[in-house]
Amino acid sequence: MRKGKKVISAALAGCLTAGMFLSGCGDGGNDGKTEIEILQYKPEAAKYFDSVEEEFNKTHDDIHLTIDSPNDASTIMRTRFIREDYPDIIGIGGDINYSYYVDAGILADISDFEGIADVKQAYLDIGEALKIVPTDGTYILPYVANAAGVLYNKNIFEEHGWEIPTTWEELIALCDDIEAAGLQPFYFGFKDTWTCLAPWNSMAVDLAPADVCKQVNRGETTFSKEYGEVSEKYLELLEYGPEDPFAYNYNDACTAFARGESVMYPIGSYAVPQILSVNPDMNIDSFVMPANSDASKNTLNSGIDLGFAVTADCKNKEAAYEVLEFLYEDENIQKYIDDQNAIPCKEGDFDLAPMLDGMQEFIQSGNMTDYQDHYYPSEMAVDAQIQTFLINQDVDAFLKKFDKDWQRYNRDTIRKVQEYEEEQGNAE
Amino acid sequence: MKAKVKEKTNWPVMILLILGLITVAFPLYMTIVIALKQPSEMTNSIAGILSLPKSFSLSNFKEAMEVTDFWNSLKNSLLISVITVVLSIVVHSLMGYAVGRNKAHSKFYKFVYMFVVSGMFVPFAILMMPLAKQTAEMGLGNWVGVIILYVVFYMPMNVLLYSGYLTNIPIALEEAARVDGASTWKTYWKVIFPIMKPMHATVAVLTALAVWNDVMTPLVIMAGTGQNTLPLAQLNFQTQFGTNYNLAFASYLLALIPIVIFYIICQKQILNGVVNGAVK
Amino acid sequence: MRNMNERKRTYLLITIPILALFICFNTVPLIRGFIYSFTNFKGFGDYDWVGFRNYVDLFQDPRVGKSYLFTFKLAIVATIVTNVISLILALGLNGKIKGKSFFRGAYFIPNVLGALVVGYIFNYFFTYILPGMAKMAGIDSLSGSMLSDTKTAWIAIVIVCAWQAIAMNTIIYISGLQTVPEDVYEAGSLDGATGWKKFKHLTFPLIIPFFTINMVLCVKNFLMVFDQIMALTKGGPAQSTESISYLIYNNGMSGGQFGFQSANAVIFFIVIVAISVAQMQISGRKEEQL
Repeated sequence: MRKGKKVISAALAGCLTAGMFLSGCGDGGNDGKTEIEILQYKPEAAKYFDSVEEEFNKTHDDIHLTIDSPNDASTIMRTRFIREDYPDIIGIGGDINYSYYVDAGILADISDFEGIADVKQAYLDIGEALKIVPTDGTYILPYVANAAGVLYNKNIFEEHGWEIPTTWEELIALCDDIEAAGLQPFYFGFKDTWTCLAPWNSMAVDLAPADVCKQVNRGETTFSKEYGEVSEKYLELLEYGPEDPFAYNYNDACTAFARGESVMYPIGSYAVPQILSVNPDMNIDSFVMPANSDASKNTLNSGIDLGFAVTADCKNKEAAYEVLEFLYEDENIQKYIDDQNAIPCKEGDFDLAPMLDGMQEFIQSGNMTDYQDHYYPSEMAVDAQIQTFLINQDVDAFLKKFDKDWQRYNRDTIRKVQEYEEEQGNAE
Repeated sequence: MKAKVKEKTNWPVMILLILGLITVAFPLYMTIVIALKQPSEMTNSIAGILSLPKSFSLSNFKEAMEVTDFWNSLKNSLLISVITVVLSIVVHSLMGYAVGRNKAHSKFYKFVYMFVVSGMFVPFAILMMPLAKQTAEMGLGNWVGVIILYVVFYMPMNVLLYSGYLTNIPIALEEAARVDGASTWKTYWKVIFPIMKPMHATVAVLTALAVWNDVMTPLVIMAGTGQNTLPLAQLNFQTQFGTNYNLAFASYLLALIPIVIFYIICQKQILNGVVNGAVK
Repeated sequence: MRNMNERKRTYLLITIPILALFICFNTVPLIRGFIYSFTNFKGFGDYDWVGFRNYVDLFQDPRVGKSYLFTFKLAIVATIVTNVISLILALGLNGKIKGKSFFRGAYFIPNVLGALVVGYIFNYFFTYILPGMAKMAGIDSLSGSMLSDTKTAWIAIVIVCAWQAIAMNTIIYISGLQTVPEDVYEAGSLDGATGWKKFKHLTFPLIIPFFTINMVLCVKNFLMVFDQIMALTKGGPAQSTESISYLIYNNGMSGGQFGFQSANAVIFFIVIVAISVAQMQISGRKEEQL
């Protein structure tokens, strides 16, 4: 036995030395410049970030910037975190991973960064709300947002003189009109489960409290109470889609909508490039999903699509701020928006893409609410649960399971929230 | 090779093989047609997808090569695959030999055999995080590390293959060499290694194929080195919100060529190195 | 005696370093993963020790139970289908035919096409082409997409898995058939053995080691099925095709359940090893009998 151990440790030592021997080459000298590395998660914007990187390095002598836009960035980010090889700045979305990162202490407080003052309040609030328990400090600089609602074929709408609906009743009436005209109102690509979340999110913001997940975590309400109406209305919507929506994937649905097989397509603005690749001449616009019967209660479903966070490990925060400042210049944001049809998170006058025309009013007035699924842990697979529900059409079973699973998958989070609540209670 | 007496072709088998070929030809046809089309020609109708492209142009291939930085990625993929295959043949055949010749009568080797082969069933997902950390600590977060990991990952399968093949090679062959006074080591290289040629070719094909298509290992281990293999570069074509199938298919067709050529070469070796007649 | 020692030493000198390498990059990380299975580690940041909570949860989680049932159903059916077809194919390709190289090359292609291509083409096939053909032929039961029905989606996955795996199994069978000495056949034909009889009594017993290899590889590949699930259904419809590896990867790596899914992986590992050891023992005994 002892001999065996010796052999193993000798072998391990052998492996280690071999490893060190092989890793001779490290990174070369950097001319005394401060190195700043950004790892951002949107590979579709790689071209934009390459040009930013080039521009920045041309104009700055003391800092050398590298921007990585890898595919499957989430895996790469996790790999690097586990290696404790943190980039200086990470570009991430405002979703539950951001919440976890804040909670894990990976990110640095950037509330002393001047650019924070220029961020639209709505997006700062979203960043704040995503924290598992309230803490001091700002951890993300919201860069751009996306929006989800309903995309529609503008030409067909104009041909028939149809108007953008502002209440649920108007939407249903419109769908009936479309069917009466011999057309199909919606297309769905529910074979890809994540697409089930698009209509869900945009209806839930109109019908359920924005902080429903946090309320549940505090034990104040249940999803059975809050999501009932959303679920019922989702089933109604399903009637106006293709016969077997679970047969088609996201790509099929984009192609079908681009080919005019449906008049509307409830999805986010991110789908526009894919649709245009099939039909470059298509005239697409969008409107806010009017799930509520009270038009004033309808709100735009919009969240932080890309924000920048400085890691706690970053050696030179000033240099990182300088990079953030550069990224946050109006000119650069405008370039990003033009490139990606995004919505800026910064105050100011920007030219928005034409397919966002129908949502302008909401964007200008800041009437928007974050995606509900940004609070769902991905392992709970709410998207797949919604797909299951849409197939079985059993609202009660769906919501009961939702409540039960929520408790299980969020056990540690709920414990943290309740500990915090107790502390607050004691302090008062 | 046996002296080729004119063999009669077995026509019923031929016909069945040709019919079976449809299952290969049809997907391949679809791949080629899509690789030649433009995104604007994509539809959801059957006739539309099976039709020939409006105009014949290799522009997709050209663009795919640019997007993936083809020659560079190809070089990396080839480097990793070739070294892995060579190391696998040497290391795994030795291990297969040592284990295969002894597992019947030695408890230790029986255990080693089971231990190594069971390594096949470790889900990669559980190893991924610890390995990412470990390779980084050892300074192996690069292509060298990827190769070492491949040699370890495919060891179970290849040891299984080699030791299985050895059961069909009579010990008498080695004994004869030993009587002549050759050491075990020498006997192995002179007698056993050459006789396992068909298995070397099989191992080469299977290992090369697995390495050639693998995304996860280089993704996790080489993250941040700025080096790409072909499958890594091909990830460029798909994001959650949009996939350019036309470019992707062109790129996959390009990546398919080297491995098919390699397979055809190995295939000849599998056939030629027959043990027929050499024994008994 | 000196000779025996020399042999033993050589075998050990070969085995020990290679085994050390294996332990270093397979066993050690596996043990590290095993340790994580007692934590609530998310894959980053801090974690707490939770004792056996993950294991207790595992046995109470219906989703995990369902994934085991699905995976085993798939693996058993796909293993049988693949082995039968590839054995026939190997015999055919080894037989007296013209254009051997061409056929062998062609039948190899399914194995090389990347997951994205396979996914796209078979999605298209099951969503549009097969229902289209069924409608023309008037077969109602196939007029919907196989992938959107919880009852048939797994069959579609079996088809694609087998389609891809047959190439590899055939290669192994072909290399096995090369070890069958011609004189066995010659002796056999003198006795008047033909066709099925010849296969059953002469060929098959000689390629049993390769049959074992293929069974083990098939069971392994299909129990760990992941790529085909990602390409075809991503676990749907209605979570009916979530394989064990799919859960481990998706929830452990992409989601925040690294600790829990490590526990799942550990149990899964033990289960497959047990099955494979049993499988090898059985066929090992058969080999000895012959």
